[in-house]
Amino acid sequence: MNILSLLIFLPILFGALVIVLPEGLRYIYRYITLLATLLQLGLSVWLYIAFKNGVNYGGVANEGQYQFVEKIHWIALNLGSMGKMQIDYFVGVDGISIMLLLMSSVVMVIAALASWEINKNHKGYFALFLLLDMAITGVFCSLDFFLFYIFYELMLLPLYFLIGIWGAARREYAAIKFFLFTLFGSVFMLLVMVGLYFSVKDPATGAHTFNIIQMMNPANYDKDSLFGFIGQHMLLGLPARSVGFIVLFVAFAIKIPVVPLHTWLPDAHVEAPTPISIILAGVLLKVGGYGMIRICFGIFPEVATSYAFWIGLLGMISILYGAFNALAQRDLKRMIAYSSVSHMGFVLLGIASQTTEGVSGAMMQMISHGFLSSMLFFLVGVIYYRVHDRDVYSFRGLGTLMPKYTVFIMIAFFASLGLPGFSAFIAEAFSLIGAFNAGSILPTWIAIGGSVGILLSAGYFLWTLQRMFFGETKLKGGEVWKLALVDISNREMLVLVPLSLLTLALGIMPSLVFVKINDSVLAFVQFIHLNN
Amino acid sequence: MNTTVPHTDILTIQLAIAAVLLPFVACLLNLFLVKGQSKVSGWLSTLAILGSFVLSALVFSKVWNQPALHVQQLWFTVGTIPVNVGIWLNNLSVLMLLLVTAVALPVHIYSIAYLKGDDKYTRYFAYLGFFCFAMLALVIVDSLVLLYAFWELVGFASYLLIGFWFIREKAVLANKKAFIMNRIGDVGLLIGILLIYSHYHTFDLITLFGDHNILSSIPADKTWLTFTGICLLMGAIAKSAQFPLHTWLPDAMEGPTSVSALIHAATMVAAGIFLLGRVYPLFTPDVLTIIAVVGCFTAFMAATIALTQNDLKRILAYSTISQLGFMMLAMGVGAYSSALLHLAAHAFFKCLLFLSAGVIIHEMQHLKEKHNLDIDPQDINNMGGLGKFMPVTFITCIIASLSLIGFPLTSGCLSKDGIMVQAFLWADGKGWIYTLIPVTAVITSLLTIFYISRLLFKVFLGKPRITQPVEAHDGSLLFKAPMVFLALCSLFPLFSSNPFEYEQSWIYKGFAIAVHIVGSLDYHTIVLLSVNVLAIPIVFLTYRAYVKQKVSFKTGLLFKISYNEWHIDWFYHRIIVKGVLYVGAIVLWLDKNIFDGIIHLFANIGVIIGKLTAWTDKYIIDGLLAVLTSIIKQAGNFVRGFQTGRVQNYLLTMLLIIVVIYVLKTFI
Amino acid sequence: MSMLTYLLLIGAGLFCIGLYIVLVKRNAIQVLIGIELILNAAILNLVAFGKYDKLYNGGQTFALFAIVLAGAASAVALAIILNVYKQYKTIDPNAVDQLKD
Repeated sequence: MNILSLLIFLPILFGALVIVLPEGLRYIYRYITLLATLLQLGLSVWLYIAFKNGVNYGGVANEGQYQFVEKIHWIALNLGSMGKMQIDYFVGVDGISIMLLLMSSVVMVIAALASWEINKNHKGYFALFLLLDMAITGVFCSLDFFLFYIFYELMLLPLYFLIGIWGAARREYAAIKFFLFTLFGSVFMLLVMVGLYFSVKDPATGAHTFNIIQMMNPANYDKDSLFGFIGQHMLLGLPARSVGFIVLFVAFAIKIPVVPLHTWLPDAHVEAPTPISIILAGVLLKVGGYGMIRICFGIFPEVATSYAFWIGLLGMISILYGAFNALAQRDLKRMIAYSSVSHMGFVLLGIASQTTEGVSGAMMQMISHGFLSSMLFFLVGVIYYRVHDRDVYSFRGLGTLMPKYTVFIMIAFFASLGLPGFSAFIAEAFSLIGAFNAGSILPTWIAIGGSVGILLSAGYFLWTLQRMFFGETKLKGGEVWKLALVDISNREMLVLVPLSLLTLALGIMPSLVFVKINDSVLAFVQFIHLNN
Repeated sequence: MNTTVPHTDILTIQLAIAAVLLPFVACLLNLFLVKGQSKVSGWLSTLAILGSFVLSALVFSKVWNQPALHVQQLWFTVGTIPVNVGIWLNNLSVLMLLLVTAVALPVHIYSIAYLKGDDKYTRYFAYLGFFCFAMLALVIVDSLVLLYAFWELVGFASYLLIGFWFIREKAVLANKKAFIMNRIGDVGLLIGILLIYSHYHTFDLITLFGDHNILSSIPADKTWLTFTGICLLMGAIAKSAQFPLHTWLPDAMEGPTSVSALIHAATMVAAGIFLLGRVYPLFTPDVLTIIAVVGCFTAFMAATIALTQNDLKRILAYSTISQLGFMMLAMGVGAYSSALLHLAAHAFFKCLLFLSAGVIIHEMQHLKEKHNLDIDPQDINNMGGLGKFMPVTFITCIIASLSLIGFPLTSGCLSKDGIMVQAFLWADGKGWIYTLIPVTAVITSLLTIFYISRLLFKVFLGKPRITQPVEAHDGSLLFKAPMVFLALCSLFPLFSSNPFEYEQSWIYKGFAIAVHIVGSLDYHTIVLLSVNVLAIPIVFLTYRAYVKQKVSFKTGLLFKISYNEWHIDWFYHRIIVKGVLYVGAIVLWLDKNIFDGIIHLFANIGVIIGKLTAWTDKYIIDGLLAVLTSIIKQAGNFVRGFQTGRVQNYLLTMLLIIVVIYVLKTFI
Repeated sequence: MSMLTYLLLIGAGLFCIGLYIVLVKRNAIQVLIGIELILNAAILNLVAFGKYDKLYNGGQTFALFAIVLAGAASAVALAIILNVYKQYKTIDPNAVDQLKD
């Protein structure tokens, strides 16, 4: 059995188990889910260790260089005069996907541990959770556009219910906003996908194909096809390839999210229950970044280069806009949601720079942010779970009341604002290095603007620390709250300590990440410069 | 590791690494193994620092005025670009290494007694150890990335230590302010580093700033170099508390006094000057002039503010800012070696001043508790006549003050005079506007004399200002020994055999450039004489004002401006901080009403289209159908009308039809 | 104009008068009178054309038949009218419109 397929479908097997078991044993579902995610984590770690490095394993545009590949002819219909339809079950990993797989496995374990606080409809919750797990893993592994699209859409369904049923006060609004917004982007992606299908021929079989890697190769395009290079079809006044790029960019930009397509994020993150916020911030945003690299930039590299200035500008705007918004928030969870927007701006800036340092920094930022945002949302969830209030102004002097909690908050905050010794410093530094180095496509002022973001992140995090944790203890709920606010339990320690250690490890030994992604990043950058 | 390095050098490097790591080990032990209030933590940390000091001295003896040592190792690779960690030991590194440990040691000993009884005793020593580790690492690393990393970590340690008593509101406001202001500088530093990297594609300090560096061989665009220089300068300005990023330092006095002594007087704030020293080859003449102006202005401004402050530690804080301004001025006018000499001298005497301030405040606190007074133990208006109760403190303070003034026979004389002389030499022949700088420096010196004498007189001489009987005494040996040690270091023998010739100082000679400039006037004697001669009437004036209380300075616009610290903090708080928060509020409004508004607009359009469609469906499409049915119904109704049930009608109809048929058949 | 024409004209005239009475009158007995007139017009026609059948006197014979039948029909019609009167208390044909739609 191919290990990637096992990794993808493992959760759904456990999901079936959850559905089959009777409702009375409701507390067993948590353990089943935890077991599923732990098994997935084990598999991912094995994949990480077994992943080979070296120039021959770069991947990206080279189909033979992907690892743990499984390619099965899935749907092969003979459509008579229109040729043969070929959709493959094609999964594989290269440097760009492997680290994201590992990170999402870790985040899923954390989310499973955080799901202890769910108190209604356990069966439905955990079944949907495992479905989501499968979809996310599938997205990172698929190399066939059709398969990718299936998993990508499949992610939306469980999230809609998870937010809409187990969320907070405005959950229905947030769920539907999230669902429709994201769907809007991906619907147009479907059109581009079909257009690409008809433009590309698989050299091996001569049929049209959804194979992403084949779509990256200009030689595979039919001369007169819609997205062909030579034909230069026009669509709505722009070259068809530009339109394709813009549509795909919008689809993934909604996910990353890029200002101004980000307004679903604060509502979705805030209204979702803690474990779902962790998954949303930790993994879902990275799906956008991954899609941007793999599909958007991979299939339309020359358009990406010509629009690089705008993409970089959007990245810088996201950084600053997200940070300023976070400064103005009172709700702690909303502040962290906006800080996620800001941090993902670094990812976009790094990718737009099209330099090795920039793209490496962007990938590192995705992984680092995955861990850090999980930690941040989990920490917010701790307080919310105890007193059902997230307003910064309701608390003062929590440092004396919950000292261990304060230590973890300080680790999370200082790591997020880029203190050296933690992963985010390396990530942000290299994204900015990339931006500074891209002198030919990005003006220096964009990079300088991005750097100011680190100042603003210090602003809102330190303000929160000072306001909520230091000073004399004064709580809005008075004595009732003082009793409710117990320090961190063992289960919560089990979540927070590994996350802290991970971010510290990545800060001190970034080679843990870089050694796996270097070859692919190099291949990616070379590919873009080649197809310019 | 460089294999061509001889064995003894590798040993030296290892000693240096050990010197840096010892405090970190102590920090970890204190955090995880030692119990909360155990006395062991203090002794453990002190032992670690003593070890560091000894090792630093060894390393110093091996490297000072010898060829520099350098080892490098790969940390990680990004794509094909290697990022290295390495150690660079040259004169500057080992001097700082020695200096930091030499000042940290007395502070550790002092802290053992100062923080006795505090329930976070162990935590304090852990933080202090972390700071020493970061600071020591900062001075020996060889790459800009690592420099930036430890620079930030030093700032973080400062944050932890300023906010050590985190229940106090003022302390946590202060540490937040310190970190954010330092971050502003850090952004500048980061941008500068990245700009350098984008042009030269290396972070290596030796390649960039070492003896045969790139900057001298590859010509670069002047404007870009100037801009990068200013960015790097911003980092130094924030860390060394120069105008305009200086307001965090007076507030940082909320931390324990031993922390103020070590970090905010002697070492961390000197890191900015150290940075300038490290990247010195980068600066174009324009940037150097800017540095000189910033330093000079800050020195003057801080000295004017120190004249009127009443909080003991605040006076000393502004004094620190002023002296750092001198160091920066020195860097700007090219007096590289004098700047470093002053850095060293200042470290000792300022640390000492703070430590004595700690003892004084301690005693005032005892007095307050004993007589239940409602006084601020740090306010000098409540002190007076303490000299006869605390002789050791008094004498060490005098020595430190003399060094601060630059009185002959002290270390301060050597360094300060050197700076002023070189400033005059620099301004020589450049035009009268340049001469303003050294002249301002001299005026600042005079102001320094004034404020420090004021401090001394108000605290130690005259009659006690509290009405209750004053009982105070010097601290225990743990307090006295460090102070005496530092006092001895503030005298000239440590620095030079000749008390008047700063060029003879071994520190100076370690950094000096061979060229000797001759000025138009004999500045040496002019400066020396003018400052010291003018000192006498100034001291006399302060004596009359503050001891005899025959002269008063309380009124006047200048007093108000000085007392309110030139209203800078007010400006920052009201305009900059509120401005940024206002931008945040606007952006939030934008997000909620415009971006989200557009989304809601789309959503509403969707709903309206839905309602329109429903209406169309019900009234138009279904309506057509209804019309059709009504037509048929009416046709049916019409035809029904023929069935009247009346026989005669039927007959008539039959007749008509027969006639019609007959007519049709006949005529058609 | 010959005698035949005169007779035919009178016959047509009688027919029209009889038709008019049937269609317009509001009294069923008057309608019956109308019907008699129509019948008599037809009989007159028969007699008029009887001139051409001197052998068998068909016209006259047919006329006698018709008169008898007319009488029988009148008897039946009167019986019907009597029953209608019993049911509806009126003999206005327009009033008996139960078979209307």
